[in-house]
Amino acid sequence: MMGRRRCSGVTVAAAVATLWAAASAVAAPRFDVVPSQSSVTFVGSQQGEKFTGTIRSYDARIRFAADDLAGSSLDVTLQLASIDTNSPDRDQGIATADWFNVAEFPTATFRTVAIRSSPVGPVGEADLTIKGHVKHIPFPFTWKSGSAGATLDARVTLDRLDFGLGAGDWADDSVVAHKVEVVVHLTLVAAATAPAAKQRPKAANVP
Amino acid sequence: MALRSTASVWGPVVQAFHWGMLLLLLTTIPIGYYMADLPLGPPKLKIYALHKSIGITLLALAAVRLLWRLGERRPAPSPMPGWQRVAAQTTHVLLYVLLFVVPLSGWLYNSAAGFPLQWFRLFNLPALTAANPALKVVAKQVHETGVAVLIALVVAHAVAALKHHFIDRDATLRSMLPLLRSRP
Ligand code: HEM
Ligand code: HEM
Repeated sequence: MMGRRRCSGVTVAAAVATLWAAASAVAAPRFDVVPSQSSVTFVGSQQGEKFTGTIRSYDARIRFAADDLAGSSLDVTLQLASIDTNSPDRDQGIATADWFNVAEFPTATFRTVAIRSSPVGPVGEADLTIKGHVKHIPFPFTWKSGSAGATLDARVTLDRLDFGLGAGDWADDSVVAHKVEVVVHLTLVAAATAPAAKQRPKAANVP
Repeated sequence: MALRSTASVWGPVVQAFHWGMLLLLLTTIPIGYYMADLPLGPPKLKIYALHKSIGITLLALAAVRLLWRLGERRPAPSPMPGWQRVAAQTTHVLLYVLLFVVPLSGWLYNSAAGFPLQWFRLFNLPALTAANPALKVVAKQVHETGVAVLIALVVAHAVAALKHHFIDRDATLRSMLPLLRSRP
């Protein structure tokens, strides 16, 4: 009896926590990217030479509050046709089926399923989907709040083979290195329009 | 001093550069014509890397060769009409010019295209310019035309050398051959 009651107590607490988290997920402030002051890039290495690929077009939905990590989330969709590696020849190569296969997989997505705090800052637990391969990755980032908004900075090293990028012949590490460092710098402003927290219930109330 | 040219023969250093660079040219020119049509993939990138590595080697050799040559005497030419001597010397000068223009334009093309440049997988060389599509087209044109002119001049130069040897039966070719040095 005691055990069961305690158990249900825990269940209720968990349910409340979940509800609260769900409610606060709506409440964490939303931010818009300032594209001219932001960059999503990756640094690869081809035949011993580093090159930087810039993903020029992406759409980021960011909610963040340091004191409400449960209500925070990062959700980014990247347009792979917009990759610019400072070499039109390489850009063409990168779009082919051996690499990003942009014709079939035009976008990559990055979504946090949770954000936890760590001694060095927030760490997103994210699903990164490229070319149909989903990989769960830790995404440590720095968040700096300013008067008008915030900046988000992150560096994550990925293995291109985890996403089927350049398999087969291209797997040769000496031609194109396996490790790719993704460097993200986002300049954010608090979302200008009425916050989604207010919009959503309103929308839901419309019969 | 035994390394230097004499009044009758080219010294061993000039000869080593001359025939060594011929061998490298005979390797990298066919690679150059062969590689462009390969399908994109690591084998293609590797063979480009080989072409470029040999090409950069040739550029370095050309610089050292020229410096050495500037301090050399020229063996007395075999008797021949004045126009032939002028033609031969003009060809030599042009060959030197092309030994720089061809690899430098290749390097420039490579840089303008934004390709990496690694020397035999050992170290990388800097780009001569940032990626630049317009310059890329020009540099490629210079590289390809330069190679074509180089080949034409080398053929004329070699034919002339053989003509001196087999028809005029003079010492011109022997002056550049190591084994026949001691012959009178
Ligand atoms: C003396 C040295 C060199 C010689 C004799 C040479 C010769 C050639 C030849 C014959 C071709 C083919 C041209 C054609 O298709 O019409 C070629 C292409 C090429 N060369 Fe060189 N090359 C030399 C040095 C270099 C260097 C140093 C580089 C780069 C650093 C280079 C980069 C290239 C590239 C990228 C192509 C390909 C052009 C294309 O994609 O069609 N070459 N070279
Ligand atoms: C089958 C190929 C070749 C033959 C038979 C050949 C033959 C000769 C001969 C006999 C000489 C001596 C001429 C004299 O004393 O006036 C000579 C000199 C010279 N050759 Fe060649 N040659 C060949 C290829 C080349 C190539 C590929 C180059 C450079 C791209 C070249 C550049 C020169 C130069 C610059 C000289 C003047 C000496 C010097 O400064 O090194 N030759 N060659």
